[in-house]
Amino acid sequence: MSEIALKGLTKRFDDGTLAVEDLNLEIGDGELMILVGPSGCGKTTALRMIAGLEEISDGELWIDGELVNDFPPKHRDIAMVFQNYALYPHMTVRQNMSFGLEQAKVDKDEIARKVKETAEILDLTEHLDRRPGQLSGGQRQRVAMGRAIVRDPKAFLMDEPLSNLDAKLRTQMRTELARIQNQLGTTTVYVTHDQIEAMTLGDRVAVMRRGILQQVASPRELYEQPANLFVAGFMGSPAINLLTAQVESDTLRSPLGDVALDRRLRDALEHGDRTDRVIIGLRPEHLQDAALTERMPDGTVTFSGEVSVLEAMGAEYYAHFDLGDQTSVSEAIDPSHDAEGDPVGRRHGNDLVARLPINSDVHEGNSIKLWFEPGHLHVFDPESGRRLTEAKA
Amino acid sequence: MSSHAAETPSRPAAPKARDRQLVQRPDVLFRRCVTGVVIALALLWLVPVAWALDTSLKAEPDTIKIPVSWAIPHLTLSAYSLDFSATDIGRWYINSAIVAVIVTVLTVFTASMAGYALSRQRFRGKPLVYAAILAGIMIPPQALMVPLFREFQSVHLINTYWALILPQVPAPIAVFIFKKFFDGQPIELDQAARVDGASWWTCYRRIGLPLARSAVSAVAIFTFVWTWNNFLWPFLSATNQNMMTIPVGLGTVISGTGIINALQMASAVLGALPLVMVFLLGQRQIVEGVAGTGLK
Repeated sequence: MSEIALKGLTKRFDDGTLAVEDLNLEIGDGELMILVGPSGCGKTTALRMIAGLEEISDGELWIDGELVNDFPPKHRDIAMVFQNYALYPHMTVRQNMSFGLEQAKVDKDEIARKVKETAEILDLTEHLDRRPGQLSGGQRQRVAMGRAIVRDPKAFLMDEPLSNLDAKLRTQMRTELARIQNQLGTTTVYVTHDQIEAMTLGDRVAVMRRGILQQVASPRELYEQPANLFVAGFMGSPAINLLTAQVESDTLRSPLGDVALDRRLRDALEHGDRTDRVIIGLRPEHLQDAALTERMPDGTVTFSGEVSVLEAMGAEYYAHFDLGDQTSVSEAIDPSHDAEGDPVGRRHGNDLVARLPINSDVHEGNSIKLWFEPGHLHVFDPESGRRLTEAKA
Repeated sequence: MSSHAAETPSRPAAPKARDRQLVQRPDVLFRRCVTGVVIALALLWLVPVAWALDTSLKAEPDTIKIPVSWAIPHLTLSAYSLDFSATDIGRWYINSAIVAVIVTVLTVFTASMAGYALSRQRFRGKPLVYAAILAGIMIPPQALMVPLFREFQSVHLINTYWALILPQVPAPIAVFIFKKFFDGQPIELDQAARVDGASWWTCYRRIGLPLARSAVSAVAIFTFVWTWNNFLWPFLSATNQNMMTIPVGLGTVISGTGIINALQMASAVLGALPLVMVFLLGQRQIVEGVAGTGLK
């Protein structure tokens, strides 16, 4: 086990592309750190630099208190699980798992013992003499894990290890992975573009965009206190509602209704570059069905909207409301325009989503009354995208 | 509720059997034509081989009878026994085998290593090295004969195995084939091995090469055949009877004993026999290799 420290880590490719820029990250002993972000954000490049598969253009990489910038992969004592598993197809499961130990010149009996133990942990004992081609996707994934675990390395590096599995198996393996990491307590850096994996697996999550680290925090903090519009939009499904709002004397005029400026909002506006216009963010679960509420708290904002699309998710509804063009968030800062292939999906700026309980009397084309507490509003600077408020959880 | 049939646009009717036949007819005709052409070409190739075998089994007077006939009035192996008693064919066999096997092993070994390095490693001047190797494909071997001969003569290696083997080992086309093959292998396998602690040599030996089996088979078989059949360089570099390979030796049979048809044909059959065996044993690999590497 060990700590990993990235100090100003930068990767510039030969063609001048800046894949990772000045990345500073400290991963504690036994911690599971998630690197998350849309395709091309530099998360895999950062992982490959830690592995030694990509040269570091600038900055320092420390593993277990040792500067390892110039160490080849084999001298870093780390194990990596690849997206496509990278199992050696001509070797059996046993040979795949033994390979790393053989390179480390471990005694044959010791190799056999370790492989047997690891196979038992991962329920692979009966498949030890099979080749990867004879295994299912889930079994291959476990072999890839086994190949990493059996070496007992200083750290695990995982590059989207669950992305090749179907949805059901992915959920199952996610739980399994969390259990194993917990059991072994090995420092782990895990790359994913799936925010659900990030939220459920990580001790801490580092969100990246265009090679730049946006925020590092616990999953809960990231969700409740996103540093900027991008993080707010990337974390959470369905994505946060982002709307433009005008500030007029003591009132915030939003498409959802007027909000009286309390001290929290006033402080927020003082921290921004502009005082006349802001972007407000509201999580879909913070929009409530007024028909199901006996007594609304003081200061709530109510509004009515016509349901344009209704998605029944089993335990709840995702109700979409069309707010018209005047509310759309500028494309330059709308995270959905940046998140190529991200699981959040693209949302129109004029689309508002509410997560409503399944007992809501809601139908497509019908108008319903919703309310929210102003304390749940996030306020963002429209120029920099920076969050200005401390939002209520 | 209105009926489904009324709303759904009607599907185009399934083609009738007669229409299907009309549609399929050009396809069947094309396939028959192709089969016919292939059979004709195979016969064109097979007839001289069959004629050589037929002649080698005849008594010499029967080989010059007019009209020419496929019939064998007196079946005899005398041409074969004469071949072994009157010529050094046994020695030439050994020489050919030694040269072809060593050239094949060295070519596969060096070309696969070069292909692997060009595919996987990053080093200064790599594009230049690769371009130089590709340029080697464009130089006709005949153009190199005189300089090579002078080179080997100056170091007194003419009429040695070194002279027969070394110039035949560098094979730019084999390097190209291996590079392309390794390019097609997932790079993550090598990266996984490197993270697992393997050196480049181990990556090549335990991951790259075992997975390039079909390229190895193709290059090995074609190098063996090409080396076995190569005439020009062995003809120049092995003037001593004891160092001759089969194709060079066969040339001396013809010029040394006058025209004995049965003997000539027996020598040709014996010379080609190992290649036929190589083909029969490695038929599957040859087909896989041709399909996988485009080599032919």
